Amino acid sequence: SKMAEYREAPLATRPKTLDPAEYYNLSAEQRRAEEERAALRAQLKRQYQLQLNNPHRKDLIEDPALTRWTYARANVYPQFRPTAKTSLLGGLFSVVPLFVLYYVFKTDRDKKEAAIKAGKYERPFQLSY
Amino acid sequence: MLKILIPTLMLIPTTWLIPKKWLWTTTTSQSLIIALISLLWLKWDSEIGWSSSNIYLATDPLSTPLLILTCWLLPLMILASQNHISPEPINRQRSYITLLILLQFFLILAFSATEMIMFYIMFEATLIPTLIIITRWGNQTERLNAGTYFLFYTLTGSLPLLVALLLLQKDLGSLSMLTMQFTKPMTFISWSDKIWWAGCLLAFLVKMPLYGIHLWLPKAHVEAPIAGSMVLAAVLLKLGGYGMMRITSLLDPLTKELSYPFIVMALWGIIMTGSICLRQTDLKSLIAYSSVSHMGLVVAGILTQTPWGFTGAIILMIAHGLVSSALFCLANTNYERTHNRTLLLTRGMQIILPLMTTWWFMANLANLALPPIPNLMGELFIIVSTFNWSYWTILLTGLGTLITASYSLYMFLMTQRGPTPTHIITLYPSHSREHLLMALHLLPILMLMSKPELVWGWCYC
Repeated sequence: SKMAEYREAPLATRPKTLDPAEYYNLSAEQRRAEEERAALRAQLKRQYQLQLNNPHRKDLIEDPALTRWTYARANVYPQFRPTAKTSLLGGLFSVVPLFVLYYVFKTDRDKKEAAIKAGKYERPFQLSY
Repeated sequence: MLKILIPTLMLIPTTWLIPKKWLWTTTTSQSLIIALISLLWLKWDSEIGWSSSNIYLATDPLSTPLLILTCWLLPLMILASQNHISPEPINRQRSYITLLILLQFFLILAFSATEMIMFYIMFEATLIPTLIIITRWGNQTERLNAGTYFLFYTLTGSLPLLVALLLLQKDLGSLSMLTMQFTKPMTFISWSDKIWWAGCLLAFLVKMPLYGIHLWLPKAHVEAPIAGSMVLAAVLLKLGGYGMMRITSLLDPLTKELSYPFIVMALWGIIMTGSICLRQTDLKSLIAYSSVSHMGLVVAGILTQTPWGFTGAIILMIAHGLVSSALFCLANTNYERTHNRTLLLTRGMQIILPLMTTWWFMANLANLALPPIPNLMGELFIIVSTFNWSYWTILLTGLGTLITASYSLYMFLMTQRGPTPTHIITLYPSHSREHLLMALHLLPILMLMSKPELVWGWCYC
């Protein structure tokens, strides 16, 4: 069968599932699937090797997985959907703090203003402002 | 003033008439000479602060540091663009430099304008060369989106400013900054006065940017070519701060009540954008968000309206301009070699380019506000000023300082230390041009440590 004729690329290791010693407990379906995957992997390796050993190559070998990953990291917003969780998080971290901080600063400064107006605000170490 | 403006304008015939071999050398040296002449502006003689020979263009201790920064940046931009522009046809190179020079010209006019409407016109005029630089010479397809965001955010913010200025002109008769400081405080009672107040400030808050309306900045900074990023980070953001500082003298006493939401947004923005920096995978995006963070501090400092707040704002603007521009240049040296901005791909550079590591180290230390670098002085002034405004702000500004330190160190450690990926070993060594660029960025910062009075503005504390 095909599996018996499989020869791996030079300097590559033979996958464990194509090891002849492992053949006999695999179904035909599994073997076919393994061959297919091995063929795909061999194609990818060949492409990489071609680029790696190309003497005229001047720049990085592009990794499509990395490109997809950075694109996904940078373009989250088009996939944004307002759900309960995202609305809660958004509200908790960007809406609520604004109101909380406004309230804190306003009460603090109003207390200071009242103390100044009553003449009770002390500034013992006032250098400048 | 004319001794700077006319050489700047004459740079345009220079770029178009010089033979190809001498283009970059000549433009760099002419802009460097203009920058050195601009240092003459540092002599402030007059007692009212404004030094001028005519009533239309004048310099004062607030605008002088920003003007010198603008003039200093042009040779640096030309130096930085030399490599990535060189494969293009010569006329396109000439147009690129012409755009930079036009931008410079408008910026000088903006910072030295004495009339608010002229400042407004120049404020808007700077958008056009920047937009062309971003959308034409940017590297990724997202540059169109970035240009759109940049243009429309700023335009939408500044239309209310036009209306507000025209209203002011009708009431006051003149919008000259020379007399603006002496106007009587106006009575503000109605809601429309409050909307007028917001209209005056909105344009500058969008430009700074304030945290909620900052979305244009990461896009524009990331997609712009190096000269665009440099001028955006170093000078264009400071146009907003400068405008705010000029116009707040007219906006009292409304500012005491109405500034609360904006101070709150600015302070919260420091923390939010700082945290976003720690999660970035794109190097330029990290530096862009760090710009938003620092400018949040500047906004908070200006809106407290105290001498220390203003002084801190000016110092931080100048120091941040130089350091942020330096960081963008460093990111560009990485980008030119690997053609991507992913942090994961450009790790462990110290083994390969150790001299560049020195510059990375210095720029990142300056960014995290290491004493005695002026970044720290500015931040400290602003933090003290906001502490005086309300004690509770120290929680936010302190946490913000901590986060700034952590993402600056994160940037340094990610790019320089750690395992070196195998594909990086074959990178080109650093050009002397790149070392010169970094030195010219960081040397003024170090020199400012010895004479900080130059950037204290008119509040000599």
